[in-house]
Amino acid sequence: MANKTKEDALLRPKDVYPKEEKVDTWPYLVRKELIAILVFSIVLVVWSLVMNAPLEDLANPSLTPKESKAPWYFVGLQELLVYFDPWLAGVVLPTVILIGLTLIPYIDPDPVKGVGQYAFKKRIFAMFCFIFGFTMWFVLVGVGQYLRGPYWSFYWPWEDMEVAKQVEVTLTNLPLPAGIALIVCFFALGLTIPAAVFKNFYWKAGLVRYYITMTLFMFMMFVPLKMILRQVFHIRYVITTPWFNI
Amino acid sequence: MFKPIIKIHDATAVSTERVSRRHILWGVLYWAGWGIILGILCVVGGAVVRLLYPRVIYEASKVFKAGRPEDYKMGSVNLVPGRSVWIVREKEGFYALLAKCTHLGCQPIWYEDQQVFKCPCHGSRFYKDGINFSGPAPRPLERLHISLSNEGRLVVNKGKVVGHDYTLQT
Amino acid sequence: MNIIVQMWRSIFRTGVADSPVHRVFRVVVNFLLHLHPARVSKDGIKLRYTFCLGGLSLFFFIVTAVTGGFLMIYYYPDVDKAYASMKDIDEIVPFGTFMRNLHRWAAHLMVIFVPLHMLRVFLTAAYKPPREFNWVIGVNLLLLTFLLSFTGYLLPWDQLSYWAVTVGTTMAENTPILGAQGPFSVLGPEEDMHFILLGGTTIGQPTLVRFYFAHCVALPGALAGLMALHFWRIRKAGGISRPL
Repeated sequence: MANKTKEDALLRPKDVYPKEEKVDTWPYLVRKELIAILVFSIVLVVWSLVMNAPLEDLANPSLTPKESKAPWYFVGLQELLVYFDPWLAGVVLPTVILIGLTLIPYIDPDPVKGVGQYAFKKRIFAMFCFIFGFTMWFVLVGVGQYLRGPYWSFYWPWEDMEVAKQVEVTLTNLPLPAGIALIVCFFALGLTIPAAVFKNFYWKAGLVRYYITMTLFMFMMFVPLKMILRQVFHIRYVITTPWFNI
Repeated sequence: MFKPIIKIHDATAVSTERVSRRHILWGVLYWAGWGIILGILCVVGGAVVRLLYPRVIYEASKVFKAGRPEDYKMGSVNLVPGRSVWIVREKEGFYALLAKCTHLGCQPIWYEDQQVFKCPCHGSRFYKDGINFSGPAPRPLERLHISLSNEGRLVVNKGKVVGHDYTLQT
Repeated sequence: MNIIVQMWRSIFRTGVADSPVHRVFRVVVNFLLHLHPARVSKDGIKLRYTFCLGGLSLFFFIVTAVTGGFLMIYYYPDVDKAYASMKDIDEIVPFGTFMRNLHRWAAHLMVIFVPLHMLRVFLTAAYKPPREFNWVIGVNLLLLTFLLSFTGYLLPWDQLSYWAVTVGTTMAENTPILGAQGPFSVLGPEEDMHFILLGGTTIGQPTLVRFYFAHCVALPGALAGLMALHFWRIRKAGGISRPL
């Protein structure tokens, strides 16, 4: 009986937050919202008065401009297109990202830890994963938006984008057995080593949660791995098959 | 929540038959209700999906006539205006390449001095025969069916992709 | 003056007097304010906790929706007229540029603030029970925000929009199984995802109308509906998250 009451209590905010200090919404919250809205209204109005939204020439289906970039928030994906084929960078990776984000509340094993506070030390792994992914997205956006010139060549900020780049790197593909071995090892090690080292984490999460979490984590880590393979070892595809290349 | 409560009756009790028959009826209605909802969703959903496919597409014809063979210089790459197709004349004959990068659909540009096609979007490069050699493009440019009409003009069929060694002798 | 007081009272139902009861009443009877409970946790409304990110996202949505409505008056989703009507908005319509700028910059801010709000919610573990499903709704709101921006990108019908959307929709052509060019494709070029999206095999009039419908009707409607659900669930989960 006592157990049951405790369980019910989880759903009742009155009991979960027993002795908290409350203030009136009017004026303490309303005035904060009002200030925030006013500040950003000013920002918007001033920004709109001093800077015009771009409008280029009329669409011409038979002339691709020298620099065609996606809207900035998708430039991160466009940047990934250098490293992955379109079906991966444009379809599979965004889908995995969305599925991963959706699953976050269900794979986090602890229902209480860190709620309502910026507790970085209490949730090191979770914080690392999210901040890593979040930063990677915006770093990719930054690189794509500011460091990519005509023909999507890489330019440092001090280099002139008008000067055409003649960087011809010959890319090689990994032989198929080596590629399969690499991917299998990568995921196998990523799924087993943390379970062996962080036993506490493994038992707390449980089998299903653990494997989902680590699979998603290794997917995220595969992106920088592929970038390193490409930039340092000049490898284009890890796996080459007649149907698809990774 | 809407599942009918099915009571388990004692087999020895009297007059269970009427009650259980009523329960069966409710059960049938319950599942029939779900069946009807599912059926309607399938019909409406199917209709919406079908609606998204237009019966008629108002697009330029896939088959079009280009110039006469003698209009094209030996070794030249000619973009047919408004058709996004290159007609190339080589010693082996004519071939047509679809001017659509196999990476993400931008239109590559022919550089006569370097004898390559370069795509401005992500820097894919193709040789004159359409074979990709650099950049992210996964496949060579598509080669289109080209033939000679009765009055001696080149006819390109954009709907018909041919092999990468297909040429038209004249 | 009585008539003025009567008018005021008929609209706002409260006077200007201040007392604990008045404060509660003011929130409870106001349509906009009743999104909030009458009294809130002191820790939950700290600026350093929320940074107002969610509320500002809503504000930017409202700004884009209203300015977008005004732009609709002068915009024609027709490939022959679209670009010309954009030029009209920029050069002939009084304050047209201003309206378009507001629409564009508010949309940019929304695309920045929605992920930041998500970051805040993650860092403070506000997705934990009983708020798990509200996080899922939030992920969908993020997706809808991106889709809204993307569909709006084609409407000006300039070089930037045409080629950015070419690149974006060609990805759909490369979808595994459902795209004509993707791995293991089963559908032809006139059946695949790309065709549904464009209403044809190349970007043209059908594409513009499809994107116009998505940008002006379908996506904002879905976004508004999900937002209502999002806010309602915050209340049902006991208000804003805070230390347990």
